[in-house]
Amino acid sequence: MSTPKKILVYVDGTEQSITAAQYAICLASIYHADLTALYVINTRAMEDLLKARIFLKDEQLEYEHDMEADAERYLNYVNELAVKKGVSINTKSSRGSVHQEITSVVKDEDIDLLVIGELSRIRSRRDEFYDEAERAMRTVPCSVLVVKDEDKVWAMYESLV
Amino acid sequence: MSLIDLVVEEVVKIPMVSQDKPDVLRELVQTLKDAGQIDDFDAVLKAVQEREDKLSTGLENGIAVPHGKTAAVSSLKLAIGIAPQGIDFDAIDRNPSKLFFLLVAPPNQSGPHVEALAEIAKLGQSKAFCKALVNAEGAQEVVDLLKGD
Repeated sequence: MSTPKKILVYVDGTEQSITAAQYAICLASIYHADLTALYVINTRAMEDLLKARIFLKDEQLEYEHDMEADAERYLNYVNELAVKKGVSINTKSSRGSVHQEITSVVKDEDIDLLVIGELSRIRSRRDEFYDEAERAMRTVPCSVLVVKDEDKVWAMYESLV
Repeated sequence: MSLIDLVVEEVVKIPMVSQDKPDVLRELVQTLKDAGQIDDFDAVLKAVQEREDKLSTGLENGIAVPHGKTAAVSSLKLAIGIAPQGIDFDAIDRNPSKLFFLLVAPPNQSGPHVEALAEIAKLGQSKAFCKALVNAEGAQEVVDLLKGD
């Protein structure tokens, strides 16, 4: 049976994405897979907000700076989680449209499993409400694992030796 | 988390009673307080007011998107206010604003914050949908419209 060799976990700073990272660390450990954590600085959304005049120019720069800081903070945290369990992890951040960047990394790095956090439980029929991670799930060419049950995942992660 | 997860009846104020911009911000923050979404009314109001003081978030089509960052919240908070009569919010088209989306987030969740604001921006592009929201008869209808029910 084929097991994942290259795993990508998408991290956006939400609790759900951290849970996904813990699960991805467990999988990488069990399957001896290469693990990459990705944070995308959503410059596409910020450009849209600037065009819509919801953001001022200096506000766009401020939020971009915040996102860069968040990227570093959350990727460092995920790195610590991996190191704690003896799992090697490659962390990277990119800029652009979230689902496009995820798809790009999946293709460029030949990822065979994308791990993402739990999606919204509500599926609105309004096109405006879409989760970027959900959009990535629909567009990436590889298999996707949606991680749920934070408590169970935490226990799994804690039990990893 | 998606913006849709934040849309519950308790954070919808319809119709709003405010007569002017300062009152609108207070009423929206009070809606969050009454819904148990925030503890520190003053800190949240200050964050939103500081942004509003730089430039009005009143857009075209009667929509306004007051927003701010504050450590007084631990996750994204959304309040929706509907004022069918319209309120002067210094909008860019100089028309009264009728549909208000107030969004506050902690400083360390800029990604979800930006994504939520972008979703609101897209919503605002549909005049027909905005009109339907303004004409809603109650909070439940607003929620149903946003959730596509």
